[in-house]
Amino acid sequence: MEEKKSLWKRITGSREASLVLILVVMLILVECIQYFGGNGHFLSPTNIGQIFRNNALTMLMALGMLCVLLTAGIDISITSTLAFAGMIVGMLQKNDVCHNTFLLFLIAALIGLACGFLNGLIIAKGHIAPIIVTMGFMYIWRGLAYVVSGNQWASGADVAQFAEFGKDGSAGPYIILIAAYVIFFIVLKWTTYGRRIYAVGSNMEAASVSGINVDKILVSVYMIMGLLAGLSGALSVSIYASAQPNMQYGKEMDVIAACVIGGVSMNGGRGSVVGTFLGALFYAVLAKALPLVGLDSIWQNLIKGIVVLAVVLINTLTQRAMDRAALERREM
Amino acid sequence: MAGKSGRTISIEPKKGKFFRWETGLIFIFIAVMIFGTIVSPSFNIKSVFMNMPKYLAEMFMMYAMGYILIIAEIDISVGAIVCLAATMACFANNAGLPFGLQVIICIGIGTLCGILNGAILTHFTELPSMIVTLGTQIIFRGIAEVSMGSGGSISLTDTKAYAALGGSIGIVPIAFILIIVTALIFIFVLSKTTAGRKLYAIGSNHTTALYSGIKVQKVRMICFVLIGTMAGVCALFLLATSFGANTTTGQGFEMDVISMCVFGGIATTGGKGNLVGATIAGFTIVLLKIVLSLLNVSGQTILVVIGILLIVSVLIPSINQALTNKKKKAALAKA
Amino acid sequence: MSEEAVKSASEEATASKEDLILELKGITKIFPGVKALNNVHFQLRRGECHALMGENGAGKSTFIKVITGVHAAEEGHMYLNGKEVHFKGPKDALEAGIAAVYQHPTIYPTLSVTENIFMGHEFVKNGLIQWNVMNREAQKLLDRLDADFKTSDEMGTLSVAQQQMVEIAKALSTNAKIIILDEPTAALTANESEKLYKIVDQLIASGVSVIFISHRMEDMYRLATRVTVLRDSQYIGTYDVDKITNADLIKAMVGREIKDMYPKPQVEIGEEVFRVEHMSRTGYFEDVSLNVHKGEIVGLTGLVGAGRTETMESVCGITKPREGRVFVDGKEVHIKNPSDSMAAGIVLLPEDRTKEGLIMDWGLGDNVTLPIQDEIAKGPFKVKDVQKEREIAKQYLEEVDTKALTIFDPGSSLSGGNQQKVVVAKALCQKNMKVLIMDEPTKGVDVGAKAEIYGIMGDLAKKGYGILMISSEMPEILGMSDRIYTMCKGRITGCLDVHEASQEKLLELSMEHGTGETGAKEAAE
Repeated sequence: MEEKKSLWKRITGSREASLVLILVVMLILVECIQYFGGNGHFLSPTNIGQIFRNNALTMLMALGMLCVLLTAGIDISITSTLAFAGMIVGMLQKNDVCHNTFLLFLIAALIGLACGFLNGLIIAKGHIAPIIVTMGFMYIWRGLAYVVSGNQWASGADVAQFAEFGKDGSAGPYIILIAAYVIFFIVLKWTTYGRRIYAVGSNMEAASVSGINVDKILVSVYMIMGLLAGLSGALSVSIYASAQPNMQYGKEMDVIAACVIGGVSMNGGRGSVVGTFLGALFYAVLAKALPLVGLDSIWQNLIKGIVVLAVVLINTLTQRAMDRAALERREM
Repeated sequence: MAGKSGRTISIEPKKGKFFRWETGLIFIFIAVMIFGTIVSPSFNIKSVFMNMPKYLAEMFMMYAMGYILIIAEIDISVGAIVCLAATMACFANNAGLPFGLQVIICIGIGTLCGILNGAILTHFTELPSMIVTLGTQIIFRGIAEVSMGSGGSISLTDTKAYAALGGSIGIVPIAFILIIVTALIFIFVLSKTTAGRKLYAIGSNHTTALYSGIKVQKVRMICFVLIGTMAGVCALFLLATSFGANTTTGQGFEMDVISMCVFGGIATTGGKGNLVGATIAGFTIVLLKIVLSLLNVSGQTILVVIGILLIVSVLIPSINQALTNKKKKAALAKA
Repeated sequence: MSEEAVKSASEEATASKEDLILELKGITKIFPGVKALNNVHFQLRRGECHALMGENGAGKSTFIKVITGVHAAEEGHMYLNGKEVHFKGPKDALEAGIAAVYQHPTIYPTLSVTENIFMGHEFVKNGLIQWNVMNREAQKLLDRLDADFKTSDEMGTLSVAQQQMVEIAKALSTNAKIIILDEPTAALTANESEKLYKIVDQLIASGVSVIFISHRMEDMYRLATRVTVLRDSQYIGTYDVDKITNADLIKAMVGREIKDMYPKPQVEIGEEVFRVEHMSRTGYFEDVSLNVHKGEIVGLTGLVGAGRTETMESVCGITKPREGRVFVDGKEVHIKNPSDSMAAGIVLLPEDRTKEGLIMDWGLGDNVTLPIQDEIAKGPFKVKDVQKEREIAKQYLEEVDTKALTIFDPGSSLSGGNQQKVVVAKALCQKNMKVLIMDEPTKGVDVGAKAEIYGIMGDLAKKGYGILMISSEMPEILGMSDRIYTMCKGRITGCLDVHEASQEKLLELSMEHGTGETGAKEAAE
């Protein structure tokens, strides 16, 4: 009994463990409904593959957003960066300038890196609120995406070769996702650079006093974010086989929401790669499962929003309960 | 009644600063006008007024957003509130309810959304408004999407009253007149009444404000309800030019109004700026949009301009501050 | 000044032959608007504990930050082991073997103890952090300091004393040869302080040199062999602790002898104006009852963390108590927020003037009239009456004799003492005020302004206000109060008449639960 209780406490005490628990319960439920409804397995390889492929962009950018949120910042320019980089990649193909898949990904990543560098530079050196700076660039890159497009799309025919990389069944997107998550997991947990990011977000003044170059860390996290957004731009063109200037409009909030569900604090210093993965996965599974349990896809946003808000509020209530318990224990 | 030491304290106000942010904004506004006259032959007061209603709706929210930013909060759910309110007004319209009732429903829905935001934020004071309104944003748009059904859009069936609302008195659009009235009320409250001073006090230092007897939570609640109401008004005027709503209605509005405020000199860190600046900034952006549309330039190109204006307008004070610090230091080192 | 200059010069001559580990000469540091350090000297012998003393704002903390490379000095030289060094940042100082434990521990609240200890100098192998090794090493350091928490604990969940211990462990982990302790005992209880003394003894025994900043004389006598005094950003002198008298040291710190520090007027004490009954808030304070009469100054003392501030915050509606009743003029008042409290005539002057008392970038006038602006305003829309506001602000600012040129000067342009006067003016302009609760009214205030604030308090008592003063400073509690309550661990432990109180008695009552005898006597009245 004693043992059980402590295990239960450990699960509910850790964000990652409770998310895994909820995910497992959710998966089992959907699987049962699906299977006994005579519609085959929910957890079929195709379905699982689709869950990851359909949400590859959110999952990839969530890693960058994790780094930014860890420093108590925010970046709402990411989908504009994505559109800008993606649009350039699309137009390069439409105009037959370049069809080399690797080179196109590289170009998109470098564009993203440059966009992120500008964000970081102004935030760190100008001491301006990240939300304002990235809002400015949100307009600029989105506007430039339209300028680059010249009111045209890059259609499936234009990007046919490039789309091979991201088409249904191709391993491309999965490799990028797995590589990114493994790299970020190692960097954030086991390298000094990763821990510096946590330090800056946990207490910026202390970090600066103890000799950490705060500005450098800040610029670098926005560059990482930009890099991933640029990559996502190319990936988006490849997966959806088209490039349009309005692609992924407004989806930055999904990325932030995935992080928040995964336990990343918007006050900085708290959050993990595992949590982010689970948060993004939770979001993705929810999107895939809702139609299967009879809720039309139009219900998705409403349910997502309720989940986000519920997670945030439940978190607060648990924290309050914990604080109260600590106070009651306090020696008087 | 001087103190013990006989020292007296002057109450003569210092002379105003030579350069004010608003002055700069007026110059930019004039520059846009000159630019418009030069590049477009069809640019005149009539064509401006004619094109104006389309772009004005957002400005209704700008004033309430100014209050929100001044108390150092943020509300990113307003775009979604506009969508929800517009959708519900369309339903009311299609159900054949009288126009007055439609207006009440539209503004009432906005207010309700504001009440929800405010209630959560005042009961969970430890939560930042950014995260709460991020959550409610998805919910509000979600409700609109669910009610619109799989079509993803809804139109007004009886557009007569809305067309009138989007029309003009003489050549002056009704929306413009109402914006001016709204502006006067909001500016008056902010700059002339104690309520306005309370907003600045909360934004400058909410702890001191609390210790000074200001009901901080009540003020926060009022501000969030107010912006919900204004989002409802915005939805109404949006319908007056678009005659319908869809799932993307109001998308990005929250960023548009925040950028108008910031461009107008309101700091997102709270306690600074005024709505006169925001008004000029708002009209500058509206004018710019009209000029570009007269030139048949794609509406999206203006995003680049707004973005640059925004970045530059926040960078200038920051650079300015750095320079004065340097000067002060140099002067002291000499002494 | 010349006399002191001679003294320091002669000392310098003898010191040059000594084994100095650290020496600073002619350090000047400028911040925008102020000279924070002006030609400051300092010498640290190998293996000594050297106290650095001075009033608040004398420049001690800035000086420490120059040593640790946080601030770069505009002028001056710094020698480590006889060689001149230039630190470009805190990292350089750390690598040179200088570590600092700051007054407010510079912690990473969301990270583990291990990580807090090794931040900046992790064990890295092949580019990867060796968590196992680090946890083991951290445990060794905690064992050495006899710590009562785990390496995996989250830093933000520890008490201030525990956090300080982590900071010391951090300094040890860098193999620092010089450790600087900035006001380490300020937030500690007596027991915790004693533990800290032992750690410092241990450090010195192991060959570390310690620089110790403190306000408390007892810290200095217990630990230091020499003391350097700073005043108004200037170097005053360095003295052997066993050769200088207490009075001389104070004179060096404040620059003059203080006579008649406490101008306590004799005031006829009237009826009871304010009473708190059985106030409790879980985890902060339990069953607090006290009262104040008209014209009476009541002291409320105790150690930091005893729950004094928390009690008064609950009384004034800033936090919600679990239970308890408040009476003004014998009538019960129900207070839900600070505006209720003000309406009832209870005004709280908060402890932290810059964060709670004033809006620092506002003009003084607007600050003063902030609580009463609605009363001054005209019409149903509450239009500001700017002229009237200015006149009222001027009247009260002059009444408390604020050193300011105009009412438009920003709060940040004033010294701590004058800021406190503005906060008092802000309370005075509330016409229906009956009780004034002053939380640490002279904290961070220099000696001259302190006396002025005591003067104002005396005047207020004469006018018939009831005053409740929360203070940790025994001399001011004994000098100004008519009656003194002590609190310990959230409970009232005693109530003494000023004539029967002494420093020792108050300290004893603050340290442990009193018998309740004296408190009971008061309650019976």
